[in-house]
Amino acid sequence: MAPDRAATLSLALFAVAAIALVAGAILAWREYRARVDFIGAAVELDDLLGSQEQIVTLATLANPAGPDGIRARRTPLFPVLWRRAIACFEGFDARREFKLEVGEPLKRSSIFAGVVAFAMILATLGLVRVPSPETLQAARLRAIATRIAKTASTAEDSDLVAKIREAADALENPKLPPEEKKKRIEEAKQQAEKAAEKRNNSQSGNGQGTGTSKAQNGTGNSKGTGQGKSEAAGTGAGQGKSGAGQGKSETGKQSGKNENGKGGSGSAKNDNNHKNKNKGDKSSVELQNELAKAEAQVETADAKNPGPESQPGDDKNKGGGNKPGDDKNQTGGSQPNPNLPGNIPKPGVDGDRNIPAAGGKNTNGPDRGSNLGDTHLGEMPLPLSAQRYLKPGEKGAAVDIKDARYVMFRIPGATVSAGTGKTVLDSERHRATTAYVNAPLAPSSDNAPPDERQLVPPRYRDMIH
Amino acid sequence: MGAAPQQTSPDQRVADFRKIFSRAENEVARVIVGYQDVIRKLLTALFCGGHILIEGVPGLGKTLMVKAASETLGLSFKRIQFTPDLMPSDIIGTQVLTEADGHREFQFKQGPIFAHMVLGDEINRATPKTQSAVLEAMEEHQVTVFGTTYPLPPPYIVLATQNPIELEGTYPLPEAQMDRFIFKVVMGSPKPDELREILNRTTGTAQNPIHPLFESAKAPQAIEDLKALVREVMVAEPLERYIISVIGGCTPGGPGAIPEVSQYLRFGPSPRGAQAMILCAKANALLAGRVSVSYDDIDDSIVPCLRHRLLLNFQAEAENVSSESILEQVIKRLRRPRT
Repeated sequence: MAPDRAATLSLALFAVAAIALVAGAILAWREYRARVDFIGAAVELDDLLGSQEQIVTLATLANPAGPDGIRARRTPLFPVLWRRAIACFEGFDARREFKLEVGEPLKRSSIFAGVVAFAMILATLGLVRVPSPETLQAARLRAIATRIAKTASTAEDSDLVAKIREAADALENPKLPPEEKKKRIEEAKQQAEKAAEKRNNSQSGNGQGTGTSKAQNGTGNSKGTGQGKSEAAGTGAGQGKSGAGQGKSETGKQSGKNENGKGGSGSAKNDNNHKNKNKGDKSSVELQNELAKAEAQVETADAKNPGPESQPGDDKNKGGGNKPGDDKNQTGGSQPNPNLPGNIPKPGVDGDRNIPAAGGKNTNGPDRGSNLGDTHLGEMPLPLSAQRYLKPGEKGAAVDIKDARYVMFRIPGATVSAGTGKTVLDSERHRATTAYVNAPLAPSSDNAPPDERQLVPPRYRDMIH
Repeated sequence: MGAAPQQTSPDQRVADFRKIFSRAENEVARVIVGYQDVIRKLLTALFCGGHILIEGVPGLGKTLMVKAASETLGLSFKRIQFTPDLMPSDIIGTQVLTEADGHREFQFKQGPIFAHMVLGDEINRATPKTQSAVLEAMEEHQVTVFGTTYPLPPPYIVLATQNPIELEGTYPLPEAQMDRFIFKVVMGSPKPDELREILNRTTGTAQNPIHPLFESAKAPQAIEDLKALVREVMVAEPLERYIISVIGGCTPGGPGAIPEVSQYLRFGPSPRGAQAMILCAKANALLAGRVSVSYDDIDDSIVPCLRHRLLLNFQAEAENVSSESILEQVIKRLRRPRT
């Protein structure tokens, strides 16, 4: 999940939790208020005991929180009411009647909780995003940065960590232009190299070794001394016949090697920093690799998405993102930059040169089109070999258009006679035989007799006709 | 019976109320066959201190029912047959010139409205002027003649009957007067079994004398005590809110008004409707042996208390929509879910 989305989700979760807490508190307060209601409790008891509202009447007249005049409403019948209300409680077991039943409230609240949980799951799923390669790479860089930060002892290391994190942030920031991302990665690289160099310098010259060797052929003993560098090994020159010393920085021991006889053994003491040397080397190599990968990803993404981020003018090549010439591996790129003043793309300049469009392979064989892309306006290639349709009655090869990107039609106004060059009208041209004018129909006459006739019953027909 | 409330325990008073009510129901039922619901509503209205409007065709025993109830409870009873030429003074009473000991003076002669139970038969046949004369008596329990106010004897209840047929020459009761009746009960035709029983009782020689529950002198106080007991029944706050929601639901444009209400009603019930509902619910609660109102008590009171307080519009009359059907819809929408 993206950090901004994760932040939104956590904020939403906090908000929901706060709302749930407030709602729960309000409900609890309402429930508490309902339960401490003296009259309400009496009503509940009345319902439970079926005492025909005697208990609630008693509660009304004996309510300690009631108005001052409530006692004045007691009548001489009040003792009777008191006795009868008390009698209603005979055999009443409050624990039995008011059991703590949590099942129903839980069931009720589980519906709401389920709905909220479902909504939150949906919100989470909606906010979750498949991480892009840049995000993954940035995560790897951050992991390396964290690892380095744990063992960082110098200011260079701290700077390196900061640079790596900046590069990681820049890498997954879609708003930054690729050039800026590359710049940050480059800075991180430089810082990594600087830190590695510093580390090497601090470890060189600290190992010294001595060795003794016995010549097997009895020519004598030889002594050798060796000096080792912190990075790999030290070589030593032996006095005697021949002696060589090798120092190993990791173990701090050196062994003398004699080509001719048995070599002696040597020992060397190294600086304590040598313990972390290989570890630092590993991290350094891994860091260099990851930074290189990140750079490659930026370039790949830049090539795939020639978006508005790659504005002309931002690039050193002044050409924009997806244009020939930007790619060093391409042989093309002689097309002048159309965005620069005076550089108007000329159609057909590169048309015959089989230059593939930038960012893709030309799989369709020779490309007769432009290298500026299909959507580039103002670019219309000139026809190299024009074909024409046959005239009526003319015989010949039919038009065969295959794999054409553009087809241009030229409609002749009149035929040109073959010999004289005089333009004559085409008398053989097919003409319309029907009128094509939308002439209005003649208005119908109102005096015309109606089509239908009045039916006459059979018995009257003889009288009329 | 009729003892002061402080001398009887509350439980005993509740039990007495149920017993008296039940005995009164049984006594009236000895004369009136069927119509248990109408009898219950009549007695409920009496104990709630309200008046009742009975609608039914002639010959169903409306007058007999009221007379039987008054005899059962030991209350005075008077009947007024409303006619178009009936004058207010014919109901309320008038000043008559009397001469005693050489002095002539006006003396107030009470009309038939001065009784505990007054039956206004076919009240819609009287002119609005005469009908309005009853208004003050119904609401204030007093009448004013020539500037002098005469209180009516408590308990006081007006039972008006209304003939739904023969609308020609009638004066429908004004809305203000309709609102003063706590209930409106509709008497339908008796069932075949009930009709056979009516024939057996009324066409034979057997007599069904009514045994009064109270002595005439003590009856008013006893009834007043029972009326006070009804008002002592307690109502919980949620139930009051339920009644208010029912009133609002029946009011066009009111809070919680259902679409049918806005479509078919011109006016909804007044606050008197809510009062009637609570009083009726309280009486229902006492009859159930409770001292507090329940939702069922309120639901039982909605239709009889509110059916005559809803003013239908022209569309409702054209589509033959009754106020009862609208009230059923309101109850269905507002009825509290029971566990």
